[in-house]
Amino acid sequence: MNHINEIILYDLVHNIIKEGEYLGSIITKCKDEHKSVIFSDKVKISNDNGIFLEKGLTIGFEILNHRSSAFSRKLNDFTIKDLSTIEYCVKIPDDLMLLYDEGQFSDTFPFTINLLHTSGLYLDDYKHGINHFEFFYGEILKNPISLINNGIILADRVVIDHHGDPVFYDCLIVGRDENENLKVSYEPLTNVDDKVVEFIIILGIEELKT
Amino acid sequence: MLLYENKKAKLLSILKIGINPFKKFVSTGEIKEDLGLVKSRESILQNIVDIIKEEDNFILPIIGDVGIGKTHLFWTLKNSLYYYNTIYISLDTVYKKFFYSTYSEFIDAIGVEPLRFIVNQLCDEWGALDRIYGFFHVADIEKVKKIAIQKLENKYDRDEKEALIDVINGIVTHQLDPFKKIEAEGWLLGELMNVRELSRLKLKFDLRKGKNAYIMLKLLIENSKLGSVLFIDDFEKIISITNPIDDETDEVFDPSWLYGQSQNPEEISSQKLLQKIIKLQSIKGLHLIITLKSDRSLEEIKERFQELSKEKTIKFIEPIYIENFTEDDIDDFYLKSMKYFLENLGLTKLAKAEFEYYPLNKQILRKLYSSTNGNPREIIKHLIKIFNDIIFSNNNLNAILREYESEQL
Repeated sequence: MNHINEIILYDLVHNIIKEGEYLGSIITKCKDEHKSVIFSDKVKISNDNGIFLEKGLTIGFEILNHRSSAFSRKLNDFTIKDLSTIEYCVKIPDDLMLLYDEGQFSDTFPFTINLLHTSGLYLDDYKHGINHFEFFYGEILKNPISLINNGIILADRVVIDHHGDPVFYDCLIVGRDENENLKVSYEPLTNVDDKVVEFIIILGIEELKT
Repeated sequence: MLLYENKKAKLLSILKIGINPFKKFVSTGEIKEDLGLVKSRESILQNIVDIIKEEDNFILPIIGDVGIGKTHLFWTLKNSLYYYNTIYISLDTVYKKFFYSTYSEFIDAIGVEPLRFIVNQLCDEWGALDRIYGFFHVADIEKVKKIAIQKLENKYDRDEKEALIDVINGIVTHQLDPFKKIEAEGWLLGELMNVRELSRLKLKFDLRKGKNAYIMLKLLIENSKLGSVLFIDDFEKIISITNPIDDETDEVFDPSWLYGQSQNPEEISSQKLLQKIIKLQSIKGLHLIITLKSDRSLEEIKERFQELSKEKTIKFIEPIYIENFTEDDIDDFYLKSMKYFLENLGLTKLAKAEFEYYPLNKQILRKLYSSTNGNPREIIKHLIKIFNDIIFSNNNLNAILREYESEQL
């Protein structure tokens, strides 16, 4: 994992706040009931006005008709005034994004399932849990986003292996080490035990069309 | 363990199996050759490499007699130019469908992986990897095609636009449409396709038709990380195409009845070929090397190029001449060939042994030089004959050598 102090824009745990305007690939993890994660390419951070997102995409789970349902919503000119509702905001280094880009459109997996609309593949919840691993066993799903304890995995594709565990390919991982320091890394392949997975959301391609 | 081994006897017994160290007296563009150049020609090779590295968009003539080693020079050039795609072109094979045939030779030489890499880079430049919300790639095929056309249309003539659209469609489909990738790759590799296959890929023609192959060649050469060298062998064939058949041949049909006195169909096709070569020569990053037999051919070709390219001048580099072998060259060639032969058989210890000129001797090599004037092809022909005698004759080696020493080769 790379130490990325210079690209931590905001960290509630270590009380870091770097005021300014940032462009690039930025992940914001929220501390709310939806377990939201926000992806954006432009943010403005200030002590007084909080975090301003010109354009972004928020994902998470919500309760609809007594059932959990994954969502992804576009955010335009969105401001989060209360910074205590954000756990961290990290800008992924460009060299890692280049590695991530190279894994895209791989020749090895031409037949990947693209979901049209965002859906929950897995949610670890006592009351409203979701588990579609068996249904998608052996299939390759495009655009998974997963929350794992304190970490986020954003991958190009995910496959459920013969143990029933998700295997992510071409992934960006953001997480905390044992000292609670934020780290970010790129992995071509990551297998995760489903016991540590909080949720996996498959992003629908319709949601990404501008 | 052998304490003593008669290496000369061993070499002779290996030859007696029936393997001749000298097999080929004509070098071709198809069969790879690893034998290096003789000492006197090493400077020629270095000279060519320097020109390729320093100059751009040129035609470099290499002049030498028949059998002097022009095609062999191609192989040594290819083996020394690590950072270039060096492609051999014979006008005989590419004369018809010039761009398509040249493209096929090019793809054959570079391989599929570099092709995939280049088209991937192109798609990246055309915005295929643009990220939405900083992370997500949404391959909007139509948008990528549009950007590609905008970026490239000014670099191509108006009459090439249709071919350009086809090429962009082929590349973008290959990279961004996983369900048509295999067919699109076939198209990029020059596969001939029927209308149904083409319409599935939303393409008008395969690479055989129109200027598709030229556009693909230009895109690949200009975007390749390596430079490209096109080695066109026996270039004066382009003159012989237009030259009238000798007077003694009876001609039942005189083409001038149809085409007038000034131009016959051969001349028109030759002109077309030259125009295509001029077009090829203008591709950035492409170096053209042509081989000719005489200065006269070069002058004639220069004139023809000048007539056809009135608007711009074609950059001809001063020709490089290949001369016959010197006496030392024969020795060098013979020793290198024998060493290469033994190494190829896996007899590395024997290859390192000092045989002098065994099984021949210096006297025979001198005789070879005087009877062939140092022409490499003639020398190899004689060597084949002598070694065949050594291999298949029932006489002992000394008797055979004495015969060759005394008689006229």
